[in-house]
Amino acid sequence: MADMKVAAYICQGCGLGDRLDTAALAGVAKKEGKAALVREHAFLCNAEGVKMIRDDISNEAVTHVMIGACSRRAKTEAFGFTDVCVSRANLREGVIWCQPETDEARETTQEMAEDYIRMGCAEVKKMTLPAGDPAAVTERRLLVVGGGVSGMTAALEASKAGYQVALVEKSGALGGWAAKLHKRTPGKSPYADPQDTPVAEMAAAIEADANIKVYLDAITSKIGGAPGRFEVEISTESGSTATEKVGAIVQATGFSLYDANNLPELGYGKSANVVDQAGLEALAKAAGGGAIKRPSDGGEVKRVVFVQCAGQRDDTGKHLAYCSGSCCLTSVKQAMYFKDANPDIDTVVIYSDLRMPGNGEDFYRSGQTKGVTFTKGKVSGVEATGNQCKVNFHDVILNDQAVIDDADLVVLATGQVPNSGVDIDTKLKAEIAAAGGDNSLMEAYNASQAEGAVKPISMLNLNYRQGPDVPQLKYGFTDSHFICFPYETRRTGIYAAGPVRRPMDMVQAMEDATGAAMKAIQAIENAGLGRAAHPRSGDLSYPIFRREGCTQCKRCTVECPFGAIDEDEQRFPLFNQARCRRCGTCMGACPVRVISFENYSVETVGSQLKAVDVPDEFSEKPRILVLACENDAYPALDMAAMNRNVYSAFVRVIPVRCLGSVNTIWINDALSNGYDGVMMMGCKHGDDYQCHFVKGSELAGIRMSKIGDTLKNMALEEERVSTFEVAITDIERVPQLINDYAALIQKIGMSPMKGF
Amino acid sequence: MTDIIATNQTILVVGGGISGMTAALEAAECGKNVVLVEKNPALGGRVSQLYRYFPKLCHPICGLEINQRRLKQNPRIRVLTMAEVTAITGGEGDYTATVKLAPRYVNENCTACGECAKAVDAEVPDAFNYNLGKVKVAYLPNKMAYPQRYVLDPSIIGSADADKAKAACKYGAIDLDMKEESIQFKAGAVIWATGWKPYDAAKIQPYGYDRYSNVITSVEFERLADIHGPTKGKILRPSDGKEAKNIAFIQCAGSRDENHLRHCSRICCMASLKQTHYVREAYGDAGKSTIYYIDIRAIDRFEDFYAKVWKDPNVNFIKSKVAKAVQDEKTGDVVLHGVNTEGYHRYADSYDLVVLAIGMEPSVMGANLPAEIVSDSSGFIEADPANHAFFGAGCASNPLDVNRAVQSATASALRAIQVVNRVARVEGN
Amino acid sequence: MSDKYRNNFLREVEEKVEEGHWVKMCMQCGVCAGSCPFGPHWAHPPQEIFMMIRAGKREEVLTSDSMWMCTSCYNCIVRCPRKLPITHIMHGLANYAHRLGIVPKNQPTEHFATLFWNNLAQTGRVNELKLSLGIYFRDGFAQGVKNAMAMQSVGLGMVKAKRLNPMELFGGHGVKDKSGFHAMLKKAREIEDRRKPIA
Repeated sequence: MADMKVAAYICQGCGLGDRLDTAALAGVAKKEGKAALVREHAFLCNAEGVKMIRDDISNEAVTHVMIGACSRRAKTEAFGFTDVCVSRANLREGVIWCQPETDEARETTQEMAEDYIRMGCAEVKKMTLPAGDPAAVTERRLLVVGGGVSGMTAALEASKAGYQVALVEKSGALGGWAAKLHKRTPGKSPYADPQDTPVAEMAAAIEADANIKVYLDAITSKIGGAPGRFEVEISTESGSTATEKVGAIVQATGFSLYDANNLPELGYGKSANVVDQAGLEALAKAAGGGAIKRPSDGGEVKRVVFVQCAGQRDDTGKHLAYCSGSCCLTSVKQAMYFKDANPDIDTVVIYSDLRMPGNGEDFYRSGQTKGVTFTKGKVSGVEATGNQCKVNFHDVILNDQAVIDDADLVVLATGQVPNSGVDIDTKLKAEIAAAGGDNSLMEAYNASQAEGAVKPISMLNLNYRQGPDVPQLKYGFTDSHFICFPYETRRTGIYAAGPVRRPMDMVQAMEDATGAAMKAIQAIENAGLGRAAHPRSGDLSYPIFRREGCTQCKRCTVECPFGAIDEDEQRFPLFNQARCRRCGTCMGACPVRVISFENYSVETVGSQLKAVDVPDEFSEKPRILVLACENDAYPALDMAAMNRNVYSAFVRVIPVRCLGSVNTIWINDALSNGYDGVMMMGCKHGDDYQCHFVKGSELAGIRMSKIGDTLKNMALEEERVSTFEVAITDIERVPQLINDYAALIQKIGMSPMKGF
Repeated sequence: MTDIIATNQTILVVGGGISGMTAALEAAECGKNVVLVEKNPALGGRVSQLYRYFPKLCHPICGLEINQRRLKQNPRIRVLTMAEVTAITGGEGDYTATVKLAPRYVNENCTACGECAKAVDAEVPDAFNYNLGKVKVAYLPNKMAYPQRYVLDPSIIGSADADKAKAACKYGAIDLDMKEESIQFKAGAVIWATGWKPYDAAKIQPYGYDRYSNVITSVEFERLADIHGPTKGKILRPSDGKEAKNIAFIQCAGSRDENHLRHCSRICCMASLKQTHYVREAYGDAGKSTIYYIDIRAIDRFEDFYAKVWKDPNVNFIKSKVAKAVQDEKTGDVVLHGVNTEGYHRYADSYDLVVLAIGMEPSVMGANLPAEIVSDSSGFIEADPANHAFFGAGCASNPLDVNRAVQSATASALRAIQVVNRVARVEGN
Repeated sequence: MSDKYRNNFLREVEEKVEEGHWVKMCMQCGVCAGSCPFGPHWAHPPQEIFMMIRAGKREEVLTSDSMWMCTSCYNCIVRCPRKLPITHIMHGLANYAHRLGIVPKNQPTEHFATLFWNNLAQTGRVNELKLSLGIYFRDGFAQGVKNAMAMQSVGLGMVKAKRLNPMELFGGHGVKDKSGFHAMLKKAREIEDRRKPIA
């Protein structure tokens, strides 16, 4: 790379020229920022201003550009130079729009702007242009684990886009759950009748597809590597093994039906005539379109009762707490098996809420048209009486304790339990619960680890440092926590599809699998270019690790939310760039500061906070450092400024990728440089966490709780470092937090550390 | 003249809400070229008008921020706002789209400094806030607007305000001579992410939406709760600005009804459950919510959210389709009449405000589609071979919550990629 | 064996009650119950009647007064999200119960309806005087006199307006072809019985 040449550009537009002394700012950039080239411009973001910068890059060999204008969130494309390093000093939203337009405020407003120029210059000098991963390679081939409808869909859709697929199915045939079905619920207008399953058709298409290689009776016994270069060991029941190199993985491992043996009160196991939905499908398949016979004696079935939510939506803690979302549809379909064959058979569905959204309403109507009857009620018990069953329930509409005492068949709509493998966070969750005084999870964990205990079987057998499967969300589902980003599993390049993600029906599973195949293909393409995936899409930087300084403390490997870091043979962290999402949590975790990114490092932030001009103790001008999450707190500050919500002129805001990337050295440096307080603004954590890097804000909270000692050593009050949960909508609250904090600092007094 | 570089390997995405943005981004991040067409002046669609999402109660604009950042750094996506597709001709892998661009009267020089808005006097109803408030005739569509560029309302043209706005702009961004344009470009596949619109509540006569000011829709309620809304996040009722502390939510307002929408709109139960949280957030124990429902459709893990709201002593559930609403003209309170079907209890209950959990209708319903598209009985675009390389995404294809809409949009991106990759193979590049 | 929750009665209603095949389509939203202006005065609103039919509560349904209370205002029909012809179903149920002869004694609406029909069926024209007297005197002579006195002014008004002729007590007007009219009714009954037979 050529020698560094820094150019600083100061915009006078949008009132900057009126409110600020831009000539003075230019002077600061030149003298203190050491910019080789400084230019002011009346309207920097227009074509002419941008051309001026572009020309300087071409003609003046400028390599580093500091732009003092609006927020980095504004005019991003205009100033989006990709061939130089760029920093943005936020003079508009960050200074003049959040400061009062009064003569008294002029001095502090100017000081604020000058500091941001100093910070912008300091930052850009510490940046280097991300070179991308020169070793980036990619296999344009996918692994699909699971050969049910979800897996088959993913494979076929990827193939249609021109990608090769290795499809691994643990049983001897493709089809999964769907293969056990007599018919499926309809997926198209007019949503009136059960349809044939697509299993045979799809299996034939896969057979005929040269792009898809199928492994039956097989599991992935080991997966290593990263997106673009996964190495998969496939073991078959016969003992043979094969190796596949793939670029990305779709996990479509499906679900198991909740075990109806847990429901003896509903007669399961006590009468052969009480079956679950799988049992009914088996009976229907055996009947082959003819009359379904009573299991106990082969007798004629005259009355069938469907019990919805069997062992689901349970608030006792004994069964599934959630709703499986597909069982209402399935029960209506199964009732149609009887009605379509013989309308004289009575079929009653006892439900608490019929949940058939969207076009499901058509199917519900169709069921009613065919004579399926529906009763809102709560079943209290099912008893076997000879070859029939007695169903006791409370009819909620008629407010009756009711009995159906001659049911020939009772079908329990039990729910979907995901086949998601090992919950790698069990121990961690138990530790957190134990710290909070609840030892039950830890006891359960210890029991699960005891000799002879049934160990959960891994679905993927990843050889990742953090564990063999994808981290689970709630109830064992391998789902994303993000509403806007349903495919964000915490393992880059591995995407869940179908009921392993969330209980769902076949229509949704096929849609989901198509989306998962899309994301897998994207991961492959990104890996080939060394680019980050969501949410820092396109980022070419990646963690650079200075091995010689590493103390092997393992914090980075443990804390990485994406399991991107393994260990090498010498127990040093081994960074897998293509797994990394560039949040910087490892950088924040590292006590010896050996991890950095080309465009974001301990230095880029550290140099900024050190560049700020801290007035002396007697100035009555405290300095407060704000480290703000770039996704929520920083936009909230911008929008507060757009609303002209005023906040203290004593704060200096630095956007950070995530609070997880905040290294405690920054806090130390700030305090020892005489800052009077540090505010850290991150996203909500806890069960409904909003951090897009999963646990960054939570980790920051934990790290900062340990900063008390440092403060004590410096003889500083603990209020001088505070963390705040901030949402992007907090456009009134954030200025208030800042002002309250500034008042607090005023109250406890200026830091004694100034001038040391 | 607006220039578009597009080929048979370009994907056209119609609609710039969360589904359209997602489809465009997912395809572009796979290396495909995309033209994203949005009829409003800013991207974001309906989700940008929501205060919070269920069940996490997080803010939709948080995800919008990420998507906008993805968009800003991706040169493969060309965004056209105030644009509508008027015709599509040709076939799979070889379409020609005609797009009409309405004049914004503000060019790319705009810095969003806001001086034009300060200069003008006239106001028009604020569409972003479902016309609950007003905006100046020179306005930024919303604080998160992308592109971050002002718009002049067409009514300004020829008025004194037009000259004032032009004079106030130091950057030559205001162009009063801007005309409607029509452009044509090629596309290999088209993703219809045209989204949904709230069903016309006035058609549900017994609830009096057209007669009673304190009967509002769930989408309007979102704007009341939002800090960017007309009441700055305070839940005040329209008739007299009184704090609405006792609120009724009527489910299936339009949905599951052969007289209105035949389908279940899926999201409304969860939306109302979520909105009870707004009432609690605003008024604590003084806030009361009552939900009138047929079936509460809190599917999968959403059940947790339902269970939590169910336990809230300030939220009451009544299994009943409300028969009618009557607003007392003196007090402004709205009385709901009906029968609780669980055991047959008649009620006539009075509320400060009534929120209709309004159903979802496909946006294209009743509109002249620029092409033949196979859809179901409710107007949702079907996955049908006869649709060739037209793919429905998000709520254009089914009533979906945001999570499922994004899944659908992601899937549609792959379907479009399959087409353009086929074209690329045939064309040999 | 209990008939509870068997579909026998539902099938019976479908076969024998006018519009009875709609009963199964009800989704228990209750909008009909809330929309009925007479709602507060019945034992069971329509939606509950429909649920009772599905639950096999034959006796309770057919002896209920609910379907006799319907005034045909059609509020329920226009609001029903499933477009059930609720008014017609209620009338159908009333008619069916009547034909079965299991309507509770002195059900006033049934009494009036029967009186009206018999009155009309005789001559093809309603004899207003006999009809009113029939209603007034249904609970005995003394009560009849009281009722008649109470309605005196209405009656006199009707006489003045030529809507009531006191001479009707002795015969009254009728259609021209009475025997043809009777034949027509008989034929209609035959067709009805074939279409929706009682047994």
